[in-house]
Amino acid sequence: MIETGSTPKQGETTILWLIKIVTGLILLILATIHLIMNHYIGSLGGLQTYSDVVRYYKTWYIPAMEAVFLVTVLTHSLIGLRGIILDLRPGEAMLKFINWAFIVLGMGFGIYGLWLLIIIAGR
Amino acid sequence: MVEKWNITVKFYRQKQGEKPHDQEIKMDVNPDENVIDLVERAWALHDRTLVFAHACHHSTCGACGMRVNEREKLACITPVRSVVANGGTLKVAPLRNFPVISDLVVDMGELYRRMDLVGHQPVDSDREEAIQPEFRPAGPAEPNEDFMRLSDCIECGLCMSACPVFSSTPDYLGPAVLAGAHQAGLEKNPLLFKLIDSATGVWRCHSAFECTAVCPSNVDPGWRIMELRRKVIGDRVKTLFNPRKPAEVGK
Amino acid sequence: MNTQSNFVVRAFRWFDPRGRSLSGWGFMIHRLTALGLTFYLFLHLIVLGQLAQGPDAYDNFLKSTESPLYKIGELSVVAAVFLHGLNGVRIVMTSFGIAVPRQREIFIGAMVIGLVAIVIFGIRMFIG
Ligand code: SF4
Ligand code: FES
Repeated sequence: MIETGSTPKQGETTILWLIKIVTGLILLILATIHLIMNHYIGSLGGLQTYSDVVRYYKTWYIPAMEAVFLVTVLTHSLIGLRGIILDLRPGEAMLKFINWAFIVLGMGFGIYGLWLLIIIAGR
Repeated sequence: MVEKWNITVKFYRQKQGEKPHDQEIKMDVNPDENVIDLVERAWALHDRTLVFAHACHHSTCGACGMRVNEREKLACITPVRSVVANGGTLKVAPLRNFPVISDLVVDMGELYRRMDLVGHQPVDSDREEAIQPEFRPAGPAEPNEDFMRLSDCIECGLCMSACPVFSSTPDYLGPAVLAGAHQAGLEKNPLLFKLIDSATGVWRCHSAFECTAVCPSNVDPGWRIMELRRKVIGDRVKTLFNPRKPAEVGK
Repeated sequence: MNTQSNFVVRAFRWFDPRGRSLSGWGFMIHRLTALGLTFYLFLHLIVLGQLAQGPDAYDNFLKSTESPLYKIGELSVVAAVFLHGLNGVRIVMTSFGIAVPRQREIFIGAMVIGLVAIVIFGIRMFIG
């Protein structure tokens, strides 16, 4: 039988959804720049060597832009993935676990990515 | 002269507790008949155990919803010509996402219960101006009088069957129910805000718009869900600047 | 028709192509690319760790990615970004009630633009 739909289920809120939309719009611009820079610019098309990468990240606004890209793409993808999982009706405990796992995952990869950015920009 | 076609109709057959199988019946048909006519003839002339539902035969009761060649249709208004060619095979199956009671009949009790829950009314009142001129009631009308008319949604369940999210998430309220909530009016019942602004409400929709594609009755559930989203966001923005509002909306 | 199936069965229903309309395919494309891109994002971040190990490690790694197989993989990521992003624009618009009755045409337009962009990137990647 189909479950009752009488009680509203928490877990997806306007604010999370709005964040997904806003980050999505930002990504539209940043992902395009990211793709073009990596695959289109330069004599051979994109950043082909380690020194290409280091040189590219010398300009101050590049690491700044990539940092924003990193944070928005992590946020967008994890909220999105959580939304997909919500479609599968996880139990209360499972959802709680996913919430925390995703926060840890997002933070972890965010910090790791920023660390990587700082290292490259510093070389 | 009446055109005559010969086609094969594949009926989905399943009785409680049994595995489904297809039953093929060769039929002489008039391409201008509707699919429901074939189903009725198959029952009358070939197999009296075939179970199906219908009532009005003119797209008003919503009982004859089924999948014709996988696509959700009201069998009573689906001309044979529009779904098969002479000599071809036509597949008739029950709606998806609802439990099968028998053959082509599914249990839509949950849908009706939810429609009740959101306060969907089978009759609507409309201002005279809102009714297309040719359908306006004759005779002198009271100024500003409301007219009663059948609501657009006939609760046929086609949209619920076509929705890919409802297929994986039975507790998602679903297109018909959200459209019903929209039609009932959030303004009149603030409780509805709470119901639809949730993980099983408007945020569960992922914009497949299958509901709108199959709806036989101009309800346009996809559009109504988006309208609900707009209203919820609008309400959220308002409450941001006017913190007294949540108490009214919340409870 | 059993709504009580386990989550793997239910997840596969999203991608059941039977009886789908055009915008239903949009949903499928959006979801597939979402899953693919999320997987790629984390893979990408992990692999970029090579950058921290200095020029030799990174350049050796880049050499190993010069095979056509990698390039096809790369192009599919680019393709997924375009399809997901352009379809995303349609979803954002309609979610705010903009152009909902035109969503089908917008979808077609978005996919056409996406395909053109994919072809341009593909030519650039494979032909130079
Ligand atoms: S919204 Fe349309 S498809 Fe859905 S139940 Fe109502 S009439 Fe049928
Ligand atoms: S029989 Fe009433 S809608 Fe088809």
